[in-house]
Amino acid sequence: MNALLVRRAGHYGFIAFCAAAFIFLVAPILVIVPLSFNAEPYFTFTEGMLRLDPEAYSLRWYQNVIEDEAWSRALINSLVIGSAATLLATALGTLAALGLASPAMPGRALITGILISPMVTPIIIVAVGMFFFYSSIGLGQSYTGLILAHAALGAPFVVITVTATLSGFDPILLRAAASLGAGPLRRFFRVQLPLIAPGVFSGGLFAFATSFDEVVVVLFMGGLEQRTIPRQMWSGIREQISPSILAVAVFLIAFAVLALFTVQWLRGRSAQAR
Amino acid sequence: MRLRGPRATAVALTLPLLAFIAASFVAPLGTLLSKSAYEPNVANILPRTLAALDGWSGDGPPAEAAFAAIAEELPKARQERTLVRVAGPVNRLKSGMRRVLTRTARQVETTEFAGSWREALIGINPAWEEPDTWLAIQAAGTRFTLRHYLQALDLERRPDGSIGLQPEESRIYMPLLWRTLLVSLGVTLLCLAIGYPIAHLIATSPPKRSNLLLLMVLVPFWTSLLVRTTAWIVLLQRQGVINSLLVALGLTPDSERLEMIYNMTGTFTAMTHVLLPFMVLPLYSVMRSIPPTHMAAAASLGANPVQGFIRVYLPQTLPGIGAGGLLVFILAIGYYITPALVGGRSGQLISNMIAYHVQTSLNWGLAAALSSILLVAVLGLYLIYSRLIGIDRMRLG
Amino acid sequence: MNGKKILPPHIEYISVRKTYDRSNWVVRDLDLHVQRGEFLTLLGPSGSGKTTCLMMLAGFEAPSAGEIRINGAPVGGLPPDKRGIGVVFQNYALFPHMTVGGNLAFPLEVRGMAAPERQERVERALALVRMEGFGDRRPGQLSGGQQQRIAIARALVFEPELVLMDEPLGALDRRLREELQYEIRRIQRQLGVTVVYVTHDQQEAMAMSDRVAVFQAGRIEQVAAPEVLYEEPQRAFVASFIGENNLLPGRVLSINRGVCAVEVDGRQIEAAHVGDLPVGADTLVAIRPERVTISHEAGRFANEHEATVEDISFLGDHLRVRLSVCGTSSFIAKIPNIVGHGGILPGDLVRVGWATLDCRALEAESK
Repeated sequence: MNALLVRRAGHYGFIAFCAAAFIFLVAPILVIVPLSFNAEPYFTFTEGMLRLDPEAYSLRWYQNVIEDEAWSRALINSLVIGSAATLLATALGTLAALGLASPAMPGRALITGILISPMVTPIIIVAVGMFFFYSSIGLGQSYTGLILAHAALGAPFVVITVTATLSGFDPILLRAAASLGAGPLRRFFRVQLPLIAPGVFSGGLFAFATSFDEVVVVLFMGGLEQRTIPRQMWSGIREQISPSILAVAVFLIAFAVLALFTVQWLRGRSAQAR
Repeated sequence: MRLRGPRATAVALTLPLLAFIAASFVAPLGTLLSKSAYEPNVANILPRTLAALDGWSGDGPPAEAAFAAIAEELPKARQERTLVRVAGPVNRLKSGMRRVLTRTARQVETTEFAGSWREALIGINPAWEEPDTWLAIQAAGTRFTLRHYLQALDLERRPDGSIGLQPEESRIYMPLLWRTLLVSLGVTLLCLAIGYPIAHLIATSPPKRSNLLLLMVLVPFWTSLLVRTTAWIVLLQRQGVINSLLVALGLTPDSERLEMIYNMTGTFTAMTHVLLPFMVLPLYSVMRSIPPTHMAAAASLGANPVQGFIRVYLPQTLPGIGAGGLLVFILAIGYYITPALVGGRSGQLISNMIAYHVQTSLNWGLAAALSSILLVAVLGLYLIYSRLIGIDRMRLG
Repeated sequence: MNGKKILPPHIEYISVRKTYDRSNWVVRDLDLHVQRGEFLTLLGPSGSGKTTCLMMLAGFEAPSAGEIRINGAPVGGLPPDKRGIGVVFQNYALFPHMTVGGNLAFPLEVRGMAAPERQERVERALALVRMEGFGDRRPGQLSGGQQQRIAIARALVFEPELVLMDEPLGALDRRLREELQYEIRRIQRQLGVTVVYVTHDQQEAMAMSDRVAVFQAGRIEQVAAPEVLYEEPQRAFVASFIGENNLLPGRVLSINRGVCAVEVDGRQIEAAHVGDLPVGADTLVAIRPERVTISHEAGRFANEHEATVEDISFLGDHLRVRLSVCGTSSFIAKIPNIVGHGGILPGDLVRVGWATLDCRALEAESK
């Protein structure tokens, strides 16, 4: 009887701990959403907000952001750099993953290690190194330099995701296609690529999200011209902190949720295709 | 070894990315690391001065030739706008030299040559009489140097040529490195303590609830780092949500709002929040593969829940603990953004020091030496990770 | 008859060898001919090299030495997509992202066939495997047996002369397997294609094939029609792999016109003399359990011995009796379940007997 009681208490303790942990994970992100509608320039809930007084809420910070040319320019920069880096990383990363998946690949562990290393190298070292290197070859403060840098940071995600998808791809399908008369290119485009496409898209999305959230390299390498959304937020947090940032943050949260659901959906698709 | 058939195809597919990473990523790292030990600027700009100092004993001022050489090379550097590249490194070895060099360079141009450059220079600035000045120039003029590493490791070269620890009060970098390692270890343990139970809950819940709980880990994982850091500022700052709540509830007086951010607490909290998903996800994927019948079997054999957990469940989750722990630790010791934004003065880590030396003090050699120490640490851990867990087993989300 | 002799065999393996690591031979010195329209099965335990032989024929593996010819022409330089051979894979290998119709149309599309004709051929192929109306389904929506029918249809739709099948029924349950065995045989006869079929299931091989090649450790032990393999195994491995045989070790004492006397555990057995076993050689005497008669009286057979009944299992249509005789305690006899089978009990002392020609003296060890 007593032992049962202890066990039950232990179980409830465990549940309570987990609940607290989940609150710790999610609450900070959730808190931002209502605060971004604050009518006052404060980072906390006003009394009016707590009373759910409609007067205390407004869209003024969203309006601020939309009207501010710096933000729209940052958005365009982020989209341009992100898309170009994603295309580059996805194309190269997918090819590399295909090579690494081949049982004939020599030195696989070492090469994988090198290809994944941008993901674990401290970002400050990457940023500083790129700052010195790209300046010395005339690509400092340029879109090209940032695109190359972000592609290098995003490629590991593509390699990992596509490799994981390829591990679920049955190579016998390629033999089957060959036995039916399909040449190498047709085998790839008609059979393999459609089946690993969900993995390629997820990898691309990871790469885009990496670029879309990257601030340190931009901080060191980018000039005024190349300010991206994270770079703009960085100055916002460091210098003139205003609730406009919260409006941007809500936009980025929406992007994150969208990206997350897309990746989950793609994963479901690739699991189905097996 | 002959390359043909599938082997050649595999290599050819991997080559473009490998070349790209080598050019866009490895080459920049190489550039950075070379700066830690290779400083050709002074040697390139003052070649004749350094040649004239060759063979100088170091006692008393050097020979006239050295004075004559520097009197020619300094104004030349000024005109070519390369003088800063000399002034910075020399000034770091003997403070005040930046001023001495720039002034001398400017004044030598207008000085009439009156037989002795030695007297002329000493006339401009008496510092030229001191052997230290020349020693500093000579030291800065060595192309390959380990002095940045000495400094980064809080070592110094004593006058007798031996190498020893700097006096305790001027040791900066080793304590910072230790602090970084300790913070990383602390964050890793905290992530494990929080992440283990929730990973277990997610892995053992029925599918629908499990998916919902997993989303609560994945949403922060996907959310921008800056957004999450901003969120913590909003929550923790003096006028922030938590302080306001505490004041409103009467738990803290308005005048004694808690200092929870712009210090180590801020760094610690925000880093744990950011890195927690990296712990939960590998743990979850390991725990999901443990059949629930194992615990039932342990119970049927007479083990109580604690014994069952320690003897049966925990050992099977060790790969997940290793994977998550190493990953969090690797990411933590290189952390930059969060400490920079919410760390204040006391919450800075080694990465922030590197940024400081690049952006503010412009001591790039030292920044590079610190970077290479950090890089070696991270790559060592990465190697352990790949041996223990295998890089190809890394999964995202 | 004369016209046929001019044509080369459909498929020839000429001294084909295969190794992956230059030290272990997966296939050694393989010589094999397959006639046009023949159903040949490669039978053997897993790892015996049969699938490798099939994959070399399909072009997915290259022989390390030797040559494969199709219609008399070497195919060494021909990639698999240029060989025009239909292949049915072990786990169907249907493309999951295409419909059934899309799967069947794929080889036709690759060959540049126009859409209307393609459609007609697909319908015909579906009818052939009795899957009319399934064209719009996805492979994932079909049962295992249905998927296998589609895989067969896909390998046939482009009308190859040669179809290879690699354990196509391995993943199916027994009833479905028997049904499809019959179907495959029907289709093969209907179309007259040559089939090379790989399996490790000897019953399947016996039921379907014109000829069976028994593989062991990279070599062919014997190639023959199923009944010949069963009745006249040339080697101990074939005798034990095809059906069941009692194998008694002994030594050849004398040979006389196809019959030899063998000493087994101090007794003499008369057996059919196989191959070129000399007098004095070690041998394994193979006796089919169903050819053994158990009785209490003596005198009906050339080979008769006293035996002790160790164990009897009732298996419905027959009784399986384990006996101690000729130096072994696991000598098996199968007694048909007919009225008056003798009323034998464990421990009984009985006489076992068999005819000389039901018992074969085989080479003791295949090297």
